[in-house]
Amino acid sequence: MSAIRRLGGFRFWSLIPFVVVAAVFGIYPFLRVVQMAFGHVSVRGGGMTFEWRGLENFHRALEDDLFHHSLAISGIFVVATTVISLVLGTALAILTDRATKMQNVARNVLVWPAIIAPVVVSVVWVLILNPQIGVLNQALSTLGLPEQGWLGDGVGAMAAIIAVDVWHWTPIVYLLIYSALKGIDSEVLEAASVDGANRSQTTRHVVIPMLLPAIAAAAVLRVVMGVKAFDEMYLLTRGGPGDSTTIISLLIRGIVFDEVDLGYGSAVSLVTIGIVLVMAVLIFAVRPILRRRA
Amino acid sequence: MKRTSWSSETLLVISMIIIAVPVIWLVITSFNAPREIISRGFEFSMSNYVRLFEGDSAIGAQIGNSLIIAVSTTVFTMAIAALAGYSLSSLGWSRTTTGILLGISALIQLIPPMTLVPGLYVVLQQFGILNSLPGLIILNVLFNLPFATLMLKVYFDALPDSIREAGLVDGASEQRVFWSLVLPLVKPGLAAVGIYVLIMAWNEFLMGLTMTTGGDQAPITVGIASLVQPQAITYGPMAALGSLTVVPIIILAIIANKQIVAGLTGGAVKG
Repeated sequence: MSAIRRLGGFRFWSLIPFVVVAAVFGIYPFLRVVQMAFGHVSVRGGGMTFEWRGLENFHRALEDDLFHHSLAISGIFVVATTVISLVLGTALAILTDRATKMQNVARNVLVWPAIIAPVVVSVVWVLILNPQIGVLNQALSTLGLPEQGWLGDGVGAMAAIIAVDVWHWTPIVYLLIYSALKGIDSEVLEAASVDGANRSQTTRHVVIPMLLPAIAAAAVLRVVMGVKAFDEMYLLTRGGPGDSTTIISLLIRGIVFDEVDLGYGSAVSLVTIGIVLVMAVLIFAVRPILRRRA
Repeated sequence: MKRTSWSSETLLVISMIIIAVPVIWLVITSFNAPREIISRGFEFSMSNYVRLFEGDSAIGAQIGNSLIIAVSTTVFTMAIAALAGYSLSSLGWSRTTTGILLGISALIQLIPPMTLVPGLYVVLQQFGILNSLPGLIILNVLFNLPFATLMLKVYFDALPDSIREAGLVDGASEQRVFWSLVLPLVKPGLAAVGIYVLIMAWNEFLMGLTMTTGGDQAPITVGIASLVQPQAITYGPMAALGSLTVVPIIILAIIANKQIVAGLTGGAVKG
Protein backbone atom coordinates (compact mmCIF):
# COMPACT_ATOMS: atom_id res chain seq x y z
CA MET A 1 0.00 0.00 0.00
CA SER A 2 2.77 2.41 0.85
CA ALA A 3 4.17 1.92 -2.65
CA ILE A 4 0.91 3.20 -4.12
CA ARG A 5 0.88 6.24 -1.84
CA ARG A 6 4.46 7.03 -2.72
CA LEU A 7 3.58 6.67 -6.39
CA GLY A 8 0.74 9.16 -5.91
CA GLY A 9 3.14 11.72 -4.48
CA PHE A 10 5.79 11.59 -7.18
CA ARG A 11 3.19 11.05 -9.86
CA PHE A 12 1.57 14.40 -9.05
CA TRP A 13 4.54 16.62 -8.36
CA SER A 14 6.38 15.38 -11.45
CA LEU A 15 3.64 16.89 -13.57
CA ILE A 16 3.00 20.07 -11.56
CA PRO A 17 5.83 22.29 -12.91
CA PHE A 18 4.69 21.60 -16.48
CA VAL A 19 1.06 22.35 -15.67
CA VAL A 20 1.95 25.54 -13.79
CA VAL A 21 4.10 26.93 -16.64
CA ALA A 22 1.49 26.03 -19.28
CA ALA A 23 -1.40 27.45 -17.24
CA VAL A 24 0.19 30.66 -15.90
CA PHE A 25 2.26 31.63 -18.96
CA GLY A 26 0.34 29.89 -21.76
CA ILE A 27 -3.36 29.68 -21.02
CA TYR A 28 -3.66 32.76 -18.81
CA PRO A 29 -2.01 35.14 -21.33
CA PHE A 30 -4.22 33.62 -24.03
CA LEU A 31 -7.32 34.39 -21.92
CA ARG A 32 -6.04 37.96 -21.48
CA VAL A 33 -5.78 38.21 -25.29
CA VAL A 34 -9.41 37.05 -25.53
CA GLN A 35 -10.49 39.58 -22.88
CA MET A 36 -8.62 42.52 -24.43
CA ALA A 37 -10.02 41.70 -27.86
CA PHE A 38 -13.46 42.70 -26.56
CA GLY A 39 -12.49 46.12 -25.36
CA HIS A 40 -10.33 49.18 -25.52
CA VAL A 41 -7.13 49.10 -23.49
CA SER A 42 -5.46 52.38 -22.68
CA VAL A 43 -1.99 52.60 -21.20
CA ARG A 44 -1.41 55.57 -18.94
CA GLY A 45 1.62 56.08 -16.72
CA GLY A 46 2.40 52.37 -16.35
CA GLY A 47 -1.20 51.47 -15.44
CA MET A 48 -3.74 49.94 -17.78
CA THR A 49 -7.46 50.54 -17.97
CA PHE A 50 -9.86 48.24 -19.76
CA GLU A 51 -13.16 49.39 -21.24
CA TRP A 52 -15.69 46.88 -22.58
CA ARG A 53 -16.50 47.54 -26.25
CA GLY A 54 -18.16 44.29 -27.31
CA LEU A 55 -17.49 43.29 -30.90
CA GLU A 56 -16.17 46.68 -32.02
CA ASN A 57 -12.60 45.41 -32.62
CA PHE A 58 -13.86 42.48 -34.66
CA HIS A 59 -16.03 44.74 -36.83
CA ARG A 60 -12.96 46.87 -37.42
CA ALA A 61 -10.93 43.76 -38.35
CA LEU A 62 -13.60 42.76 -40.88
CA GLU A 63 -13.31 46.13 -42.60
CA ASP A 64 -9.56 46.67 -42.21
CA ASP A 65 -8.03 46.55 -45.70
CA LEU A 66 -4.52 46.41 -44.25
CA PHE A 67 -5.39 43.28 -42.24
CA HIS A 68 -6.81 41.57 -45.34
CA HIS A 69 -3.80 42.65 -47.39
CA SER A 70 -1.57 41.26 -44.65
CA LEU A 71 -3.37 37.91 -44.67
CA ALA A 72 -2.94 37.74 -48.45
CA ILE A 73 0.77 38.59 -48.21
CA SER A 74 1.19 35.91 -45.53
CA GLY A 75 -0.64 33.42 -47.77
CA ILE A 76 1.70 34.10 -50.70
CA PHE A 77 4.71 33.93 -48.39
CA VAL A 78 3.63 30.61 -46.84
CA VAL A 79 2.81 28.91 -50.15
CA ALA A 80 5.98 30.12 -51.90
CA THR A 81 8.39 29.28 -49.08
CA THR A 82 6.77 25.87 -48.46
CA VAL A 83 6.80 24.77 -52.10
CA ILE A 84 10.31 26.01 -52.90
CA SER A 85 11.91 24.60 -49.75
CA LEU A 86 10.18 21.22 -50.27
CA VAL A 87 11.48 20.92 -53.83
CA LEU A 88 15.02 22.01 -52.93
CA GLY A 89 15.16 20.02 -49.69
CA THR A 90 14.01 16.82 -51.38
CA ALA A 91 16.43 17.32 -54.26
CA LEU A 92 19.34 17.92 -51.88
CA ALA A 93 18.45 14.82 -49.85
CA ILE A 94 18.41 12.63 -52.97
CA LEU A 95 21.69 14.18 -54.18
CA THR A 96 23.34 13.55 -50.81
CA ASP A 97 22.15 9.96 -50.88
CA ARG A 98 23.64 9.44 -54.34
CA ALA A 99 26.93 11.14 -53.52
CA THR A 100 29.88 9.23 -52.12
CA LYS A 101 32.75 11.68 -51.70
CA MET A 102 30.76 14.69 -50.54
CA GLN A 103 28.20 12.85 -48.42
CA ASN A 104 29.64 13.47 -44.96
CA VAL A 105 30.65 17.09 -45.55
CA ALA A 106 27.27 17.83 -47.12
CA ARG A 107 25.36 16.38 -44.19
CA ASN A 108 27.25 18.78 -41.95
CA VAL A 109 27.36 22.00 -43.98
CA LEU A 110 23.81 21.82 -45.35
CA VAL A 111 22.46 22.01 -41.80
CA TRP A 112 24.18 25.29 -40.87
CA PRO A 113 21.46 27.80 -41.76
CA ALA A 114 18.89 26.05 -39.54
CA ILE A 115 20.94 26.68 -36.39
CA ILE A 116 22.08 30.22 -37.14
CA ALA A 117 20.12 32.87 -35.24
CA PRO A 118 17.45 34.42 -37.49
CA VAL A 119 18.83 37.82 -36.52
CA VAL A 120 22.27 36.85 -37.84
CA VAL A 121 20.67 35.46 -41.00
CA SER A 122 19.23 38.94 -41.49
CA VAL A 123 22.64 40.52 -40.98
CA VAL A 124 24.16 38.11 -43.51
CA TRP A 125 21.52 39.04 -46.08
CA VAL A 126 21.78 42.77 -45.43
CA LEU A 127 25.45 42.42 -46.33
CA ILE A 128 24.46 40.57 -49.51
CA LEU A 129 21.45 42.60 -50.64
CA ASN A 130 22.48 46.10 -49.64
CA PRO A 131 22.67 48.20 -52.83
CA GLN A 132 25.90 50.03 -51.86
CA ILE A 133 28.00 47.46 -50.04
CA GLY A 134 26.21 44.23 -50.94
CA VAL A 135 28.13 41.39 -52.52
CA LEU A 136 25.30 40.78 -55.00
CA ASN A 137 25.60 44.21 -56.60
CA GLN A 138 29.39 43.90 -56.52
CA ALA A 139 29.05 40.69 -58.50
CA LEU A 140 26.64 42.33 -60.95
CA SER A 141 28.94 45.29 -61.55
CA THR A 142 31.93 42.96 -62.03
CA LEU A 143 29.93 41.16 -64.70
CA GLY A 144 29.04 44.51 -66.26
CA LEU A 145 25.34 44.17 -65.40
CA PRO A 146 23.20 46.99 -63.94
CA GLU A 147 23.05 47.09 -60.14
CA GLN A 148 19.67 46.51 -58.47
CA GLY A 149 17.83 48.04 -55.50
CA TRP A 150 16.73 44.58 -54.21
CA LEU A 151 14.76 45.52 -51.08
CA GLY A 152 13.77 48.85 -52.60
CA ASP A 153 10.62 47.86 -54.51
CA GLY A 154 7.64 45.77 -53.42
CA VAL A 155 8.07 42.74 -55.64
CA GLY A 156 11.83 42.62 -55.12
CA ALA A 157 11.43 42.85 -51.34
CA MET A 158 8.86 40.06 -51.31
CA ALA A 159 11.09 37.87 -53.50
CA ALA A 160 14.02 38.65 -51.20
CA ILE A 161 12.28 37.65 -47.95
CA ILE A 162 11.04 34.46 -49.63
CA ALA A 163 14.59 33.67 -50.80
CA VAL A 164 16.01 34.36 -47.34
CA ASP A 165 13.41 32.14 -45.66
CA VAL A 166 14.10 29.35 -48.16
CA TRP A 167 17.86 29.65 -47.56
CA HIS A 168 17.26 29.58 -43.81
CA TRP A 169 14.83 26.65 -43.53
CA THR A 170 15.38 24.31 -46.50
CA PRO A 171 17.88 22.45 -44.24
CA ILE A 172 14.99 21.31 -42.01
CA VAL A 173 13.19 19.78 -45.01
CA TYR A 174 16.50 18.31 -46.16
CA LEU A 175 17.09 16.60 -42.80
CA LEU A 176 13.58 15.18 -42.59
CA ILE A 177 13.62 13.82 -46.13
CA TYR A 178 17.18 12.52 -45.82
CA SER A 179 16.37 10.54 -42.66
CA ALA A 180 13.26 9.11 -44.38
CA LEU A 181 15.44 8.20 -47.36
CA LYS A 182 17.85 6.32 -45.08
CA GLY A 183 14.86 4.36 -43.81
CA ILE A 184 13.95 2.96 -47.23
CA ASP A 185 14.72 -0.74 -47.48
CA SER A 186 17.68 -1.23 -49.86
CA GLU A 187 16.09 -4.48 -51.11
CA VAL A 188 13.29 -2.45 -52.69
CA LEU A 189 15.83 -0.44 -54.64
CA GLU A 190 17.74 -3.56 -55.67
CA ALA A 191 14.49 -5.15 -56.84
CA ALA A 192 13.82 -2.09 -58.99
CA SER A 193 17.25 -2.26 -60.57
CA VAL A 194 16.95 -6.03 -61.13
CA ASP A 195 13.69 -5.27 -62.96
CA GLY A 196 15.71 -3.05 -65.30
CA ALA A 197 14.89 0.41 -63.92
CA ASN A 198 17.67 2.98 -64.29
CA ARG A 199 18.49 5.44 -61.55
CA SER A 200 16.18 8.27 -62.56
CA GLN A 201 13.29 5.83 -63.10
CA THR A 202 13.89 4.33 -59.67
CA THR A 203 13.93 7.79 -58.11
CA ARG A 204 10.76 8.91 -59.85
CA HIS A 205 8.65 5.77 -59.55
CA VAL A 206 9.97 4.10 -56.39
CA VAL A 207 11.84 6.51 -54.11
CA ILE A 208 9.65 9.62 -54.34
CA PRO A 209 6.36 7.75 -53.78
CA MET A 210 7.91 6.13 -50.71
CA LEU A 211 9.00 9.57 -49.46
CA LEU A 212 5.52 11.08 -49.76
CA PRO A 213 4.58 10.69 -46.06
CA ALA A 214 7.81 12.45 -45.03
CA ILE A 215 7.25 15.16 -47.67
CA ALA A 216 3.70 15.67 -46.37
CA ALA A 217 4.98 15.98 -42.78
CA ALA A 218 7.62 18.47 -43.91
CA ALA A 219 4.94 20.45 -45.79
CA VAL A 220 2.77 20.78 -42.67
CA LEU A 221 5.80 21.86 -40.66
CA ARG A 222 6.83 24.48 -43.23
CA VAL A 223 3.30 25.91 -43.36
CA VAL A 224 3.31 26.30 -39.56
CA MET A 225 6.77 27.92 -39.68
CA GLY A 226 5.64 30.25 -42.46
CA VAL A 227 2.66 31.48 -40.47
CA LYS A 228 4.94 32.11 -37.46
CA ALA A 229 7.64 33.97 -39.45
CA PHE A 230 8.77 37.30 -38.05
CA ASP A 231 12.45 37.89 -37.25
CA GLU A 232 14.09 38.17 -40.67
CA MET A 233 11.25 40.15 -42.23
CA TYR A 234 11.17 42.56 -39.31
CA LEU A 235 14.87 43.25 -39.74
CA LEU A 236 15.15 43.18 -43.53
CA THR A 237 12.07 45.13 -44.62
CA ARG A 238 10.02 46.23 -41.56
CA GLY A 239 7.06 45.26 -43.73
CA GLY A 240 7.98 47.74 -46.45
CA PRO A 241 8.40 49.32 -48.85
CA GLY A 242 4.90 50.60 -48.10
CA ASP A 243 3.06 47.57 -46.81
CA SER A 244 4.29 45.20 -49.50
CA THR A 245 5.89 42.68 -47.07
CA THR A 246 3.72 43.21 -43.98
CA ILE A 247 3.17 39.57 -43.04
CA ILE A 248 0.74 38.96 -40.19
CA SER A 249 3.22 38.96 -37.29
CA LEU A 250 4.63 42.30 -38.45
CA LEU A 251 1.12 43.75 -38.61
CA ILE A 252 0.30 42.65 -35.05
CA ARG A 253 3.59 44.04 -33.72
CA GLY A 254 2.83 47.37 -35.36
CA ILE A 255 -0.69 47.58 -33.91
CA VAL A 256 0.42 46.60 -30.39
CA PHE A 257 3.69 48.52 -30.08
CA ASP A 258 3.58 51.39 -32.60
CA GLU A 259 -0.10 52.28 -32.34
CA VAL A 260 -0.25 51.02 -28.69
CA ASP A 261 -3.69 49.55 -29.39
CA LEU A 262 -3.74 46.31 -27.36
CA GLY A 263 -7.47 45.80 -27.84
CA TYR A 264 -7.38 45.79 -31.62
CA GLY A 265 -4.05 43.94 -31.66
CA SER A 266 -5.62 41.22 -29.53
CA ALA A 267 -8.63 40.97 -31.85
CA VAL A 268 -6.38 40.58 -34.91
CA SER A 269 -4.35 37.97 -32.98
CA LEU A 270 -7.49 36.07 -32.08
CA VAL A 271 -8.78 36.03 -35.66
CA THR A 272 -5.32 34.83 -36.79
CA ILE A 273 -5.34 32.04 -34.20
CA GLY A 274 -8.81 31.10 -35.45
CA ILE A 275 -7.59 30.85 -39.03
CA VAL A 276 -4.59 28.74 -37.97
CA LEU A 277 -6.84 26.36 -36.01
CA VAL A 278 -9.28 25.98 -38.92
CA MET A 279 -6.32 25.17 -41.17
CA ALA A 280 -5.04 22.61 -38.64
CA VAL A 281 -8.45 20.95 -38.40
CA LEU A 282 -8.69 20.82 -42.21
CA ILE A 283 -5.26 19.20 -42.46
CA PHE A 284 -6.25 16.58 -39.88
CA ALA A 285 -9.51 15.96 -41.73
CA VAL A 286 -7.82 15.60 -45.12
CA ARG A 287 -4.97 13.36 -43.93
CA PRO A 288 -6.91 10.08 -43.58
CA ILE A 289 -8.48 10.59 -47.01
CA LEU A 290 -5.05 11.06 -48.62
CA ARG A 291 -3.72 8.04 -46.75
CA ARG A 292 -6.56 5.85 -48.03
CA ARG A 293 -5.79 6.93 -51.60
CA ALA A 294 -2.10 6.16 -51.14
CA MET B 1 30.25 -0.55 -54.22
CA LYS B 2 28.40 2.53 -55.37
CA ARG B 3 29.89 4.27 -58.39
CA THR B 4 30.58 7.96 -58.07
CA SER B 5 27.98 10.22 -59.67
CA TRP B 6 29.89 13.32 -60.69
CA SER B 7 26.76 15.35 -61.42
CA SER B 8 25.45 14.70 -57.89
CA GLU B 9 28.80 15.59 -56.33
CA THR B 10 29.01 18.81 -58.35
CA LEU B 11 25.48 19.93 -57.51
CA LEU B 12 26.15 19.24 -53.83
CA VAL B 13 29.32 21.31 -53.89
CA ILE B 14 27.41 24.19 -55.50
CA SER B 15 24.72 23.92 -52.80
CA MET B 16 27.33 23.96 -50.06
CA ILE B 17 28.89 27.06 -51.60
CA ILE B 18 25.50 28.81 -51.62
CA ILE B 19 25.15 27.96 -47.92
CA ALA B 20 28.69 28.62 -46.74
CA VAL B 21 29.64 31.72 -48.75
CA PRO B 22 27.16 34.11 -47.06
CA VAL B 23 28.43 33.00 -43.63
CA ILE B 24 32.08 33.33 -44.66
CA TRP B 25 31.30 36.73 -46.21
CA LEU B 26 29.91 37.83 -42.84
CA VAL B 27 33.15 36.88 -41.07
CA ILE B 28 35.33 38.53 -43.76
CA THR B 29 33.31 41.76 -43.57
CA SER B 30 33.71 41.80 -39.79
CA PHE B 31 37.53 42.00 -40.23
CA ASN B 32 37.35 44.66 -42.94
CA ALA B 33 38.11 48.31 -42.19
CA PRO B 34 34.88 50.40 -42.14
CA ARG B 35 35.86 52.68 -45.04
CA GLU B 36 36.91 49.67 -47.14
CA ILE B 37 33.48 48.08 -46.61
CA ILE B 38 31.90 51.15 -48.19
CA SER B 39 34.41 51.44 -51.03
CA ARG B 40 34.30 47.67 -51.68
CA GLY B 41 37.94 46.99 -50.90
CA PHE B 42 39.58 44.99 -48.13
CA GLU B 43 42.02 45.92 -45.40
CA PHE B 44 42.41 43.73 -42.32
CA SER B 45 41.26 45.52 -39.18
CA MET B 46 39.99 44.68 -35.71
CA SER B 47 38.32 48.06 -35.33
CA ASN B 48 34.79 46.70 -35.81
CA TYR B 49 35.23 44.44 -32.80
CA VAL B 50 36.85 47.19 -30.76
CA ARG B 51 33.99 49.58 -31.54
CA LEU B 52 31.41 47.09 -30.23
CA PHE B 53 32.61 47.39 -26.66
CA GLU B 54 33.51 51.08 -26.61
CA GLY B 55 31.97 53.64 -24.24
CA ASP B 56 28.72 52.79 -22.48
CA SER B 57 27.88 50.02 -24.94
CA ALA B 58 25.34 47.49 -23.65
CA ILE B 59 26.81 44.72 -25.85
CA GLY B 60 28.89 43.11 -23.10
CA ALA B 61 25.89 43.00 -20.75
CA GLN B 62 23.71 41.64 -23.55
CA ILE B 63 26.11 38.80 -24.35
CA GLY B 64 26.06 37.94 -20.64
CA ASN B 65 22.25 38.09 -20.64
CA SER B 66 22.03 35.72 -23.59
CA LEU B 67 24.38 33.25 -21.87
CA ILE B 68 22.30 33.38 -18.68
CA ILE B 69 19.02 33.06 -20.61
CA ALA B 70 20.25 30.18 -22.78
CA VAL B 71 21.73 28.16 -19.90
CA SER B 72 18.85 28.80 -17.46
CA THR B 73 16.24 28.05 -20.12
CA THR B 74 17.96 24.78 -20.95
CA VAL B 75 18.26 23.71 -17.29
CA PHE B 76 14.64 24.56 -16.38
CA THR B 77 13.17 23.22 -19.63
CA MET B 78 15.02 19.92 -19.38
CA ALA B 79 14.14 19.45 -15.70
CA ILE B 80 10.43 20.21 -16.19
CA ALA B 81 10.18 18.31 -19.49
CA ALA B 82 11.99 15.21 -18.20
CA LEU B 83 9.68 15.01 -15.17
CA ALA B 84 6.52 15.62 -17.20
CA GLY B 85 7.58 13.36 -20.07
CA TYR B 86 8.36 10.52 -17.68
CA SER B 87 5.18 11.10 -15.71
CA LEU B 88 2.98 11.01 -18.82
CA SER B 89 4.87 8.06 -20.24
CA SER B 90 5.17 5.71 -17.27
CA LEU B 91 3.11 6.76 -14.24
CA GLY B 92 -0.29 5.64 -15.41
CA TRP B 93 -2.10 8.89 -16.24
CA SER B 94 -5.44 8.44 -17.96
CA ARG B 95 -5.76 8.96 -21.71
CA THR B 96 -7.86 12.06 -21.06
CA THR B 97 -5.23 13.76 -18.88
CA THR B 98 -2.44 12.87 -21.30
CA GLY B 99 -4.56 13.98 -24.25
CA ILE B 100 -5.40 17.38 -22.73
CA LEU B 101 -1.79 18.15 -21.78
CA LEU B 102 -0.39 17.03 -25.12
CA GLY B 103 -3.16 18.97 -26.87
CA ILE B 104 -2.19 22.17 -25.04
CA SER B 105 1.46 21.50 -25.97
CA ALA B 106 0.52 21.10 -29.61
CA LEU B 107 -1.48 24.35 -29.56
CA ILE B 108 1.42 26.32 -28.04
CA GLN B 109 3.60 24.96 -30.87
CA LEU B 110 1.04 25.70 -33.55
CA ILE B 111 -0.04 29.29 -33.03
CA PRO B 112 2.25 32.18 -34.00
CA PRO B 113 4.03 33.45 -30.85
CA MET B 114 3.24 37.02 -31.91
CA THR B 115 -0.49 36.41 -31.34
CA LEU B 116 0.24 35.70 -27.66
CA VAL B 117 2.47 38.76 -27.27
CA PRO B 118 -0.29 41.21 -26.18
CA GLY B 119 -1.34 38.80 -23.43
CA LEU B 120 2.22 37.92 -22.41
CA TYR B 121 3.06 41.62 -22.20
CA VAL B 122 0.27 42.45 -19.74
CA VAL B 123 0.84 39.27 -17.71
CA LEU B 124 4.58 39.94 -17.33
CA GLN B 125 3.78 43.52 -16.35
CA GLN B 126 1.26 42.28 -13.79
CA PHE B 127 3.92 40.02 -12.22
CA GLY B 128 6.54 42.77 -12.36
CA ILE B 129 8.93 40.78 -14.56
CA LEU B 130 8.65 42.83 -17.75
CA ASN B 131 12.06 43.96 -19.06
CA SER B 132 13.86 41.43 -16.85
CA LEU B 133 15.88 38.25 -17.28
CA PRO B 134 13.47 36.08 -15.22
CA GLY B 135 10.64 37.15 -17.52
CA LEU B 136 12.60 36.23 -20.66
CA ILE B 137 13.74 32.92 -19.16
CA ILE B 138 10.14 31.96 -18.33
CA LEU B 139 8.94 32.78 -21.86
CA ASN B 140 11.80 30.81 -23.42
CA VAL B 141 10.90 27.86 -21.18
CA LEU B 142 7.24 28.21 -22.20
CA PHE B 143 7.96 28.01 -25.92
CA ASN B 144 10.53 25.19 -25.66
CA LEU B 145 8.72 23.07 -23.10
CA PRO B 146 6.01 21.51 -25.33
CA PHE B 147 8.35 19.98 -27.87
CA ALA B 148 10.97 19.01 -25.24
CA THR B 149 8.28 17.16 -23.26
CA LEU B 150 6.91 15.40 -26.35
CA MET B 151 10.40 14.39 -27.47
CA LEU B 152 11.47 13.06 -24.08
CA LYS B 153 8.15 11.24 -23.66
CA VAL B 154 8.96 9.35 -26.88
CA TYR B 155 12.37 8.36 -25.43
CA PHE B 156 10.73 7.20 -22.16
CA ASP B 157 8.02 5.32 -24.10
CA ALA B 158 10.75 3.27 -25.78
CA LEU B 159 11.99 1.89 -22.43
CA PRO B 160 10.42 -1.37 -21.22
CA ASP B 161 8.19 -1.12 -18.10
CA SER B 162 10.17 -3.92 -16.48
CA ILE B 163 13.03 -1.52 -15.67
CA ARG B 164 10.87 0.64 -13.42
CA GLU B 165 9.15 -2.39 -11.89
CA ALA B 166 12.49 -4.05 -11.10
CA GLY B 167 13.64 -0.89 -9.33
CA LEU B 168 10.43 -0.67 -7.27
CA VAL B 169 10.65 -4.37 -6.32
CA ASP B 170 14.20 -3.75 -5.10
CA GLY B 171 12.75 -1.17 -2.74
CA ALA B 172 13.75 2.06 -4.51
CA SER B 173 11.35 5.01 -4.32
CA GLU B 174 9.71 6.35 -7.50
CA GLN B 175 12.00 9.41 -7.36
CA ARG B 176 15.06 7.21 -7.06
CA VAL B 177 13.96 4.94 -9.91
CA PHE B 178 13.50 8.02 -12.10
CA TRP B 179 16.77 9.70 -11.12
CA SER B 180 19.19 6.76 -10.89
CA LEU B 181 17.68 4.14 -13.15
CA VAL B 182 15.59 5.67 -15.94
CA LEU B 183 17.23 9.04 -16.56
CA PRO B 184 20.72 7.62 -17.33
CA LEU B 185 19.11 5.39 -19.98
CA VAL B 186 17.77 8.35 -21.97
CA LYS B 187 21.04 10.35 -21.96
CA PRO B 188 21.20 10.48 -25.79
CA GLY B 189 17.71 11.96 -25.82
CA LEU B 190 18.59 14.48 -23.11
CA ALA B 191 21.69 15.53 -25.06
CA ALA B 192 19.82 15.99 -28.36
CA VAL B 193 16.91 17.90 -26.83
CA GLY B 194 19.18 19.92 -24.53
CA ILE B 195 21.45 21.15 -27.31
CA TYR B 196 18.41 22.02 -29.43
CA VAL B 197 16.84 24.06 -26.60
CA LEU B 198 20.18 25.77 -25.92
CA ILE B 199 20.41 26.89 -29.56
CA MET B 200 16.75 27.98 -29.68
CA ALA B 201 17.13 30.10 -26.52
CA TRP B 202 20.43 31.63 -27.69
CA ASN B 203 18.81 32.55 -31.03
CA GLU B 204 15.53 33.87 -29.60
CA PHE B 205 14.59 37.37 -30.77
CA LEU B 206 10.84 38.06 -30.72
CA MET B 207 10.37 37.95 -26.93
CA GLY B 208 13.60 39.85 -26.35
CA LEU B 209 12.37 42.55 -28.73
CA THR B 210 8.84 42.90 -27.35
CA MET B 211 9.40 42.28 -23.62
CA THR B 212 12.47 44.49 -23.04
CA THR B 213 13.30 48.09 -23.78
CA GLY B 214 16.43 47.00 -25.65
CA GLY B 215 19.00 48.17 -23.07
CA ASP B 216 21.15 46.13 -20.73
CA GLN B 217 18.28 43.76 -19.90
CA ALA B 218 17.97 42.62 -23.53
CA PRO B 219 19.55 39.53 -25.14
CA ILE B 220 22.31 39.90 -27.73
CA THR B 221 19.93 39.24 -30.63
CA VAL B 222 18.20 42.53 -29.78
CA GLY B 223 21.62 44.19 -29.61
CA ILE B 224 22.38 42.99 -33.14
CA ALA B 225 18.97 44.14 -34.34
CA SER B 226 19.63 47.66 -33.04
CA LEU B 227 22.66 47.79 -35.37
CA VAL B 228 20.60 46.67 -38.39
CA GLN B 229 19.36 50.00 -39.62
CA PRO B 230 18.75 50.70 -43.25
CA GLN B 231 20.65 54.01 -43.43
CA ALA B 232 23.17 53.77 -40.62
CA ILE B 233 26.85 53.13 -41.26
CA THR B 234 27.11 50.26 -38.79
CA TYR B 235 27.87 47.46 -41.26
CA GLY B 236 31.24 46.67 -39.68
CA PRO B 237 30.11 46.36 -36.05
CA MET B 238 26.98 44.56 -37.27
CA ALA B 239 29.10 41.96 -39.06
CA ALA B 240 31.44 41.67 -36.06
CA LEU B 241 28.60 41.04 -33.62
CA GLY B 242 26.94 38.65 -36.06
CA SER B 243 30.19 36.69 -36.30
CA LEU B 244 30.59 36.61 -32.51
CA THR B 245 27.08 35.17 -32.23
CA VAL B 246 27.29 32.65 -35.00
CA VAL B 247 30.78 31.19 -34.78
CA PRO B 248 30.20 29.39 -31.44
CA ILE B 249 27.03 27.86 -32.88
CA ILE B 250 28.80 26.63 -36.04
CA ILE B 251 31.59 25.12 -33.93
CA LEU B 252 28.93 23.42 -31.78
CA ALA B 253 27.28 22.16 -34.98
CA ILE B 254 30.51 20.57 -36.16
CA ILE B 255 31.30 18.96 -32.78
CA ALA B 256 27.80 17.83 -31.86
CA ASN B 257 26.44 17.23 -35.35
CA LYS B 258 24.74 13.95 -34.44
CA GLN B 259 22.83 15.39 -31.47
CA ILE B 260 21.84 18.50 -33.40
CA VAL B 261 20.51 16.49 -36.32
CA ALA B 262 18.53 14.29 -33.90
CA GLY B 263 17.18 17.39 -32.14
CA LEU B 264 16.29 19.21 -35.37
CA THR B 265 14.53 16.26 -37.00
CA GLY B 266 12.73 15.30 -33.78
CA GLY B 267 12.01 18.91 -32.88
CA ALA B 268 10.72 19.57 -36.35
CA VAL B 269 8.36 16.61 -36.42
CA LYS B 270 7.08 17.11 -32.89
CA GLY B 271 6.94 20.86 -33.45
